[in-house]
Amino acid sequence: MKKTPSRLFPTYEVGSLPKLPARTSALEGREVADDEMQQLKRLGLKYGVDSAGAEEVIARLQKEKRKPASEERKQLLDFNALLNLRIQEKSGIDFVYDGEARRSEMYRHVVQQVEGFEDLPEMIRSQEEQSYRKSVCVAEPKLKLGALSVLVEEEFAFAENNALHKVKVPLNDPYMIAVMSDNRHYTRIARKQFPEDVWKQEYQAKREFTLALAKDIIRPQVEAVVALGASWIQLDLPCATVNVEHLPIVVEGVNAVVEGIPASFSLHFCYPRRNSLTKKNGYELLYPHVLHLDQRVRHFSLELANADDYESDLAVFAQYNTERKFDLGIGVIDITLGRHREGLYEKPQLVRERILRAAEVLKDPSLVYVAPDCGLRQLKLDRCIRLYEIMVEGAELARRG
Amino acid sequence: MFFGTYLTGAFGPSQELYKVRNLEKRGKGSLEEVQQQIRKDTKAVIREQERAGLDFIIDPAFWQYDLFQSLENIPQIVRTRKHENWFDNNLFYRWRLSVDAPLPAATGWFEKDLPLDLLPKDGRFMVILPCPYSIITLCNVSGYQDKKSAVQDLAKLIRAEALHLVSLGAGRIQYDEPAIVQKQSLGSLEREDLKLLEAALDICGTIPGASTSLHTYFGNAGPILPFLDDLPVDCLGIDCRKTNLSSVLQQDFSGKQLALGLIDARNTDPEEPEELVVQLQKVAEQCHPTKLWLTPTTGTETIGYTPGLKKIEILKETKRLFYEKNPK
Repeated sequence: MKKTPSRLFPTYEVGSLPKLPARTSALEGREVADDEMQQLKRLGLKYGVDSAGAEEVIARLQKEKRKPASEERKQLLDFNALLNLRIQEKSGIDFVYDGEARRSEMYRHVVQQVEGFEDLPEMIRSQEEQSYRKSVCVAEPKLKLGALSVLVEEEFAFAENNALHKVKVPLNDPYMIAVMSDNRHYTRIARKQFPEDVWKQEYQAKREFTLALAKDIIRPQVEAVVALGASWIQLDLPCATVNVEHLPIVVEGVNAVVEGIPASFSLHFCYPRRNSLTKKNGYELLYPHVLHLDQRVRHFSLELANADDYESDLAVFAQYNTERKFDLGIGVIDITLGRHREGLYEKPQLVRERILRAAEVLKDPSLVYVAPDCGLRQLKLDRCIRLYEIMVEGAELARRG
Repeated sequence: MFFGTYLTGAFGPSQELYKVRNLEKRGKGSLEEVQQQIRKDTKAVIREQERAGLDFIIDPAFWQYDLFQSLENIPQIVRTRKHENWFDNNLFYRWRLSVDAPLPAATGWFEKDLPLDLLPKDGRFMVILPCPYSIITLCNVSGYQDKKSAVQDLAKLIRAEALHLVSLGAGRIQYDEPAIVQKQSLGSLEREDLKLLEAALDICGTIPGASTSLHTYFGNAGPILPFLDDLPVDCLGIDCRKTNLSSVLQQDFSGKQLALGLIDARNTDPEEPEELVVQLQKVAEQCHPTKLWLTPTTGTETIGYTPGLKKIEILKETKRLFYEKNPK
């Protein structure tokens, strides 16, 4: 029986953790550095995950100077996934997952399994020196044969079977994939449909693309994990507010994914347009649109620590609470690279204050969950562990008042 | 009818540049190698612009992370720690800048980032500077009591740099102005906004020795075209993926140059030069601009290097076809 938190301010991880460097080097057929190997052993020992199998695989790969075969690859991924689960559990996090240990990164992990997408030849810059491999939608998107196993089934089954705490499954939202992709196929169609109206062309192309992704790419993944026992699924929607005019599409996309599915859903939002050039800013932009979300969507996970303006950011949720209440995952840990580079950490006392500020604004502490602002994959693993500990300690302090 | 072509913003980096940046980030390469690759790619993209016969040549700005980056060379303008999304093509995040007062009319802050030695010195190189109105709209101007003083000081700062760059060989100054048309699209534009843009361009709109262009994008310029047409700049740039051509066709642009962003910088779907020529001819006949330009809507950065080169090819082919049908 998995542990179900009944206390106030339950904690969870948003999604990703950095890959274990030894595992990444081994998977890519590169030399595994001594310090990478030491870290693997140290963390295995500390978190009670037997590293002998992974060590043996790595030693063999190093000796034979090759990339891992399928079974060896699985052993390394299983080790990393189990380690991530135990790190979260032993840090005291209530709802856990495998840190997306099997995924290359959130976007590419999915689009590689989709027919109708082609890679652009070069990486596209996203933020500062960060880049990602963008794909072009050239035909109606369809999952490749066997894609569900690669995308979620194996990953979820392993997490569910091994987790000691309750599991929350993070999946991509269709609108997010639509925004991150080059929408050639649906743009072409929309331009023919509305030759004189560029606004309609753009809106229709984005809507059709999002709904196709919802129906044929994301929903099948949701159905697959629910069939395997998932009860809480998080859809990642970092870009929900990039185009204020497209918020109805965001809602339609989510509803097309969740309608009729016997599970609870949460949406992860982060870094909204806090300067939207309209009278509404930040999370205010979500309203009234999110009132039309399917009732299965009960929870929002929010980036709040980076902006550190809890009162202003959360006011809109309090304002609409009488119409529709959402549980809120309050971001209490700023995960941005600037803080990482400067070696800055929140103090547990600050986390406590942030939680209590959120509870005060919402006037209902039972709505408050505690989380980092976003996934942690860009940070170093040791830093992530420390951030988890701080978050859990801060939540405990908040429970004491 | 004069018809020309040019690029309007940052170009997507090559895969080689991505690789060296990635190595440097992981501590396995040097900043010097990154800079060498930037120079190599900059030369290549300038060469492509020359080869395609583009009328203005721009720095592809591989060093630039966003439009406002060079402003950080001014001590009074600093990054806050706040991440945020700005526009639809910013998939991830930008840092908000904070502007303190008083701003000096400093020069050299943009030049510092510009690979001047690689650009032509015969008046064909175009510099892309942020428009003061977008700066005050997207940044914190907490150092100022009122927006008008802030926009005027920023306009003085930008004018000083524009004059400096003209003395170094620039022949065209493009002011990037996404905010005004986006506010228009979102229904939040007020008379005050128009006055602020006007106040800025009264100061920096005319630059002796160069032509100026106000390049609007990420929003529908249609309803405010008469206002934009009256602004003291030589050329008006319009994002035609956000503004219906029918709105443009209703306006008489006599006395103004017109730069039409009919090339979609955010979608790899290639435009048909034949169709573009038909649209351009209509605009030439009905709008009477002094010069007509075809451009991408904005920088082609978000579609990447190779698709960006394809867009240059489309500019080249459209120009050839335009003059084939409309001999000089």
